[in-house]
Amino acid sequence: MIAPVLSLQAVRRSFGGIEVLHGADLELRAGEVHALIGENGAGKSTTMKILGGYLPPSSGQVKLDGAPVRFAGHRGAEAAGVVMIHQEFNLAEPLSVEENIFLGRELRRGPFLDKRAMRAEARRLLAELDCPLDPCRRVADLSVSDKQMVEIAKALGREARVLIMDEPTAVLTRRETAVLLGLVARLRDRGTAILFTSHKLDEVAQVADRVTVLRDGAVVAAGPAADMTEDEMARAMVGRELSDLFPPKPPAPGAETVLSVEGLDVEGLAGPASFSLCRGEVLALAGLVGAGRTELMEGMMGLRAATGRIEVAGQALPRLSPGAARAAGIAYLTEDRKGRGLLLEKPLAENLTLLALGRFGRPFLDKAAEARALDEAIGLYDIRLRDRRMAAGQLSGGNQQKLLLAKVMLAEPQVVVIDEPTRGIDIGTKQQIYGLIAVLAASGRSVIVVSSELPEVIGLAHRVLVMRRGAIAGALEGGEIGEEAILRLAMGLDEGGRAA
Amino acid sequence: MSATAEGPARSAPRRKIDFHVLGPILALAALIVLGALINGNFLSYGNLSNVLSRSAFIGIIAVGMTFVITAGGLDLSVGSMAAFIAGLMILVMNAAMPATGTGLATVLIGMAAALAAGLAAGLLNGLLVTRAGIEPFIVTLGTMGVYRSLVTWMADGGTLSLDFDLRSFYGPVYYGTVAGISWPILVFAAVAVAGEIAMRRMPFGRHCAAIGASEKVARYSAVEVDRVRLATYAALGLLVGVATIMYVPRLGSASASTGLLWELEAIAAVIIGGTVLKGGSGRIWGTVVGVLILSLIGNILNLTDVVSPYLNGAIQGGIIILAVLMQRGSTARE
Amino acid sequence: MNKLAYLGLAAALAAGPVLAQDDDTQVIGVSIPAATHGWAGGLNFHAQQTVERLEETYPQLDFVLATASGPAQQVNDIEDMVATRNIDALVVLPFESEPLTGPVAAVAERGTWVTVVDRGLSQEGIEDLYVAGDNAGFGRVSGQFFAGRLPEGGKIVVLRGIPTTIDNERVENFQAAIEGTGIEIIGMEHGNWNRDDAFTVMQDFLSRHPQIDAVWASDDDMAVGVLAAIRQSGREDIGFVLGGAGMKEMVKRVADGDAMVPADVTYPPGMIATAIEMTAVGLVSDAPVSGRFTIGSVLVTPENAAQFYYPDSPF
Repeated sequence: MIAPVLSLQAVRRSFGGIEVLHGADLELRAGEVHALIGENGAGKSTTMKILGGYLPPSSGQVKLDGAPVRFAGHRGAEAAGVVMIHQEFNLAEPLSVEENIFLGRELRRGPFLDKRAMRAEARRLLAELDCPLDPCRRVADLSVSDKQMVEIAKALGREARVLIMDEPTAVLTRRETAVLLGLVARLRDRGTAILFTSHKLDEVAQVADRVTVLRDGAVVAAGPAADMTEDEMARAMVGRELSDLFPPKPPAPGAETVLSVEGLDVEGLAGPASFSLCRGEVLALAGLVGAGRTELMEGMMGLRAATGRIEVAGQALPRLSPGAARAAGIAYLTEDRKGRGLLLEKPLAENLTLLALGRFGRPFLDKAAEARALDEAIGLYDIRLRDRRMAAGQLSGGNQQKLLLAKVMLAEPQVVVIDEPTRGIDIGTKQQIYGLIAVLAASGRSVIVVSSELPEVIGLAHRVLVMRRGAIAGALEGGEIGEEAILRLAMGLDEGGRAA
Repeated sequence: MSATAEGPARSAPRRKIDFHVLGPILALAALIVLGALINGNFLSYGNLSNVLSRSAFIGIIAVGMTFVITAGGLDLSVGSMAAFIAGLMILVMNAAMPATGTGLATVLIGMAAALAAGLAAGLLNGLLVTRAGIEPFIVTLGTMGVYRSLVTWMADGGTLSLDFDLRSFYGPVYYGTVAGISWPILVFAAVAVAGEIAMRRMPFGRHCAAIGASEKVARYSAVEVDRVRLATYAALGLLVGVATIMYVPRLGSASASTGLLWELEAIAAVIIGGTVLKGGSGRIWGTVVGVLILSLIGNILNLTDVVSPYLNGAIQGGIIILAVLMQRGSTARE
Repeated sequence: MNKLAYLGLAAALAAGPVLAQDDDTQVIGVSIPAATHGWAGGLNFHAQQTVERLEETYPQLDFVLATASGPAQQVNDIEDMVATRNIDALVVLPFESEPLTGPVAAVAERGTWVTVVDRGLSQEGIEDLYVAGDNAGFGRVSGQFFAGRLPEGGKIVVLRGIPTTIDNERVENFQAAIEGTGIEIIGMEHGNWNRDDAFTVMQDFLSRHPQIDAVWASDDDMAVGVLAAIRQSGREDIGFVLGGAGMKEMVKRVADGDAMVPADVTYPPGMIATAIEMTAVGLVSDAPVSGRFTIGSVLVTPENAAQFYYPDSPF
């Protein structure tokens, strides 16, 4: 067996007196793809940051080519050929692809930038990735997957021997994912050591040579990927049997219409669309990326310029605005929890009560009541945290999602719209959130789930609306709901289905 | 890695002093000790009363500015606005005097005019920012020039003076005292307390911080973003009116040089006090400390001959940077 | 930058044909600092008044009046006047001597008549006419007044203006004039020719010094702030306050015999009127107006106050 390029030995790491990583061992070898999997909060991020030089270990050793090493920050690691690609890209959006690739190590001729050499080198790197991107384009104008390519090209330009990728496929479409995984395989064949994390176990099974499973800060399983089935991986991550990911469907909805939407039109992006929702119903909004699902919902919430008539329990909304929607009892849980859902630098309680703040301040804020609400939410939604006063951004992704759900539910809505309820969330938390959605519906709330994950749509919904090019292409109910039926509508192979 | 916005974690023991909170207070304490060492009169009732009274204008404005900055905005026009309102107030009172006489009625008319003008000016800034969607820096840079020119024009390039008899009637609003405390100090204190309550104990302050931290998150949380931002500018305008009401009786005049650079002093006080210039987190009591620091520096420099007066600006600038450095030092490295 | 240049070009193009002058129309450019404080306000008032009056008197004359808020802007103004209005004469009150010397010299080399007012240029012989304020005299007359009022000597405080050569010249001559009289300057700070700053500085002087016999405020705007601070303190030890420049309110108090304001020293903003008028006369007639013309600073006392009182001026 080849000697590892980069390895961790009995590495521990604490934050503010609390140990989050309890003696992890990990070996990365040249020409090998190593998958690091685990639930949110299991210690994956910490492990990657230690490998990438972003954090020093509290104890234990990092070894590079067999010799103990202490990176001088991530720059030191990069100098040694260890490059980490973050989930939130480190790209300067207004600059061009080429400028980003050479950011901080521009080629010079005397005191001047050698643009021609940089352009040629950028072209060469992109060609190596089979990526037909023009080096002169502005990064801000690129798609997410192209940005990822630029990040990888940037890493290659730094002659990366070890590439650490934090959930590279989380925001990619299927096709983009396939391209990326192909690229990972090619990099491996060239001799690069690759570590990546993903919540999508099928990808892990497809591309990884070796798997390490973390749970609660400790390595619970490690070995060649070929020796582990997806089920075994999931079981190791969660630490228990995951018999059924989805809860039993909540009882069939009543006949009472809670929400009725007529002619909702979001200028140029979606609609006009009409649909209705009954008490206790779970309605899924399915469709391909870009079909206008999020835009339609944001229009309904008054977050985008839109026209149309919306009634809640027979009462028409006076206007489409976030305030009117809240007053009418409609709440929206955004798909972008970091950018639109939570104030990452603010404490948990302030995030929790922001939507329903009116209830806590008449006119003075009742901080004790806010604290009680946080206690309740922590219990009810099983939010796991280090410290009640930590900032929301310090929670793991799954716990952020639970906090966001708690925040939205605090407004006591009749109708809850949940956009991509489980994006970037581990399988254990997923199961919890599915359970919560079922409980909401069973308790008489009505839920709209916007989701790109077909199993989710099929597992949760009483009824599915499939959108295509901004319009509702069809509706499926009960036994009709199935992967193929949804895809046919989403891709325009079937016309009609049933009227919404 | 982002710094925790609020105080230290309960469970994690902290050995270090939390400079983020204490920095401005330590700087203020150091200045007071320094002042007392340099000149025996520094701590006298008369001197402290003088310093606090004249900090009141900037102080009242800075309280309003704290809300604007916390909500991610900025207002460069307050100094010019104060000069404009002062000029307008003097014109209104001089014009009203023949009809209403030298008395309370005239002064009340003047005060009402000042508050109305302040509110209107603040609303104008706010509407241009929220409705027209122009950056606050540009909007208020523009209105700054407009108000400064207007007051120069109203005064014909010279000085607008309040009628002499009215001046002595109105004078006590600056010079008068209640239980030994002068009116400007009382008004400043009242504004500061009200501001602290609105910032910390009312949804308004929470909404300002949310908008400053992330306008998108605030919007998605059904915060009436535009209305709150408009309210911060309107409140600031109103407070500029209040400050002007305290300012006019002092010298009874307004000219093109009235309120010059007040906007920068107010912004500096807000930042020294620990409010973040890009918004998201504001502290009214910090602003009050910042205002006191700024005026004490000037006072101490006037009370001593140690440094050349040519260097006053350098010393003020140095202390401002130092005060901010002290409170950021502990978080910057994280 | 490009935009500015473009605007300048556009202005020049627009102005060119329209303003193409008849041979007998002559243009006088007047460039002065903007009205940012009382004295400059008076300056603007007198400049505007004079321009209006002279435009009526001499239909063959055309005036361009520009006010600048800084030396750089003033240089631009002058360059624009030359480029777009093709001025025949320039009346300039330099914001600062050094930065304006080169540009004004360039105007003079074109053969344009140049009148410099108040502040001299750093190089001699550029201007055709120099209407000078008397800063040395201002300080000297003030100092002599103090020496006369305080024959036994005494403790005084001094408020200075914005740090400039004008201020230095005034203060140096003031100090020279009180030398050997037993008058001691116990405090000197900059009040920046500003009422509010002067108020603050005076409050602190009062805190710091238990005995002050008199105050040289060196400017009438600053005297207003100083007087307010003294009145608030209720102190009786200060004998008098001397301002300067000849602001109408202060001249009135002198005339009314106010004990705190026994005198004033002139530094009339009206000198701009003299300069414009002399330049106009020089252009339209053969009267000899070149040379140097100093407008002396004189002491205003209750006896002569009436002749320095201009109730219509804003200053």
